[in-house]
Amino acid sequence: MLSNNAELVYLDYAATTPVDPQVAEAMSAYLTVDGTFANPSSIHAAGRQSAAAVERAREQLAGLLNVSPHELIWTSGATESVNLGIIGAARFRSNRGKHLITMPTEHKAVTDTFQALEREGFEVTYLMPDRNGLLALDEFEAAIRDDTQLVSVMHVNNETGVIQDIRRIGECCRQRDILLHVDAAQSVGKLPTDLSVLPVDLLSLTAHKLYGPKGIGALYMADRPGCHVLPLFHGGGQERGLRPGTLPVHQIVGLGAAASLAKSRQVEDLVHLQGLEARLWSGIGNIPGILRNGSETESFPGILNVSIEGIEGESLMLALEPLCVGSGSACNSRNRESSTVLQALGRDDALAQSAIRFSFGRDTTNAEIDLAIGCYADAIVHLRAISPQQARTA
Amino acid sequence: MTTAVLTNPYSVLVKRYFANPVHAGQLPDEYNNAVVSEVAESETGARVILYAVVDGDTVRMLRYQVFGCPHLIAAAEAFCDEAEGQPVSTLLELDVPGLMDKLTIPVEKTGRVLILEDAAKALHITVTGTKYSED
Repeated sequence: MLSNNAELVYLDYAATTPVDPQVAEAMSAYLTVDGTFANPSSIHAAGRQSAAAVERAREQLAGLLNVSPHELIWTSGATESVNLGIIGAARFRSNRGKHLITMPTEHKAVTDTFQALEREGFEVTYLMPDRNGLLALDEFEAAIRDDTQLVSVMHVNNETGVIQDIRRIGECCRQRDILLHVDAAQSVGKLPTDLSVLPVDLLSLTAHKLYGPKGIGALYMADRPGCHVLPLFHGGGQERGLRPGTLPVHQIVGLGAAASLAKSRQVEDLVHLQGLEARLWSGIGNIPGILRNGSETESFPGILNVSIEGIEGESLMLALEPLCVGSGSACNSRNRESSTVLQALGRDDALAQSAIRFSFGRDTTNAEIDLAIGCYADAIVHLRAISPQQARTA
Repeated sequence: MTTAVLTNPYSVLVKRYFANPVHAGQLPDEYNNAVVSEVAESETGARVILYAVVDGDTVRMLRYQVFGCPHLIAAAEAFCDEAEGQPVSTLLELDVPGLMDKLTIPVEKTGRVLILEDAAKALHITVTGTKYSED
């Protein structure tokens, strides 16, 4: 529940999570004159204290991912990590080949980055998922060419929660000396992500999806031959020159604390999310015309995405106003683009527009799920009384 | 996914009509002499059906069904509320700018209200057999 909006139920954890109080407390020690606020690049004692805090946080994040701290580069968030990882690696390896592979169901941070590379002369293959949102490995292997240098596949889809088989995709890449980048913004800290055993070369993450602050993220770059990125920014030399710019110590400390907390709570949090998802689906799954978007089995339990037949998306969002949820509809008639992710899953425009993404988190309660069930069911009854279009499966 | 709306796009009146659509739905079966019009727009998928019971020159009952956004639902509710009990000619007099102003409907939604206007005109044709000019 949002404490300052008691009438609202926040079920949009896939968009962002609140900062955990322990994280906020840790950050607060690195802001004011009473704390450790110095520039970590400064060589004086205060600067060295800040630098030590930055490195402690790097170790905390490395501990969550089971990697070496020197394989982590601080960024401003997942979008920057994605840009640095994909563009930086593609440019670094461009003398070997210019073919890249991804999926249209990736986050726009990824697809727009690939489109930017196409304008630079790279060739990109966009592989459609199956009806459950999963990458078909045989199609993936068939798309690989001699000049393929980089593949990017997200771990957990931000709209549907579908989990891709990163291990097998990575094995295919390793066998052919192709780099694999993974957008793990939705999964790090929530699903086990042991990069000492997963064949991943580049991985993007952000703090604000795992109860850390907005404005800080990281790129994991495996310390192995052929895996490197060219910087996008220049000046300053921080982060080995790969991402220069004054390091935001309080933000980095926040990400480190969030990572540490996530590691200690991962199993407990996952069990909690599984219970919430099962409760919600058992409450709304029998509504006539409801359709679950994405895989029922290969899915992250913190996200449940549903469409509904015969209901217009924008009206559904207004009827659901007490709920803070993600929507497939736009409130502006000039911007009626349906979700490309849901279209790729075979949903028509009306069904994609009616999609609602419920996403839960550590603080979500059963009582909030029950409120959501009641609110959603009432909204459907209300709108079906107005609509001439009834559920085909009613 | 759309996860944020910077400002509330709906006026108090739109929300009120949306929440209390007393003219929504079909007419009861006993009104087997009802006239019906239907207009749909392929681009947005919006659809309006108007049902009327006409007694002489008076629209006795007016009902609607809408597949569309809250602005279109509110516009249909407001129109039915005002036109019920009025002369049949009221069906030709839907004041689109006035209705949009009353409900504070954003200009980009004009097309939705025009669907309602078309449905009202089509209902008038069905009732009177009179064609109207497109001016």
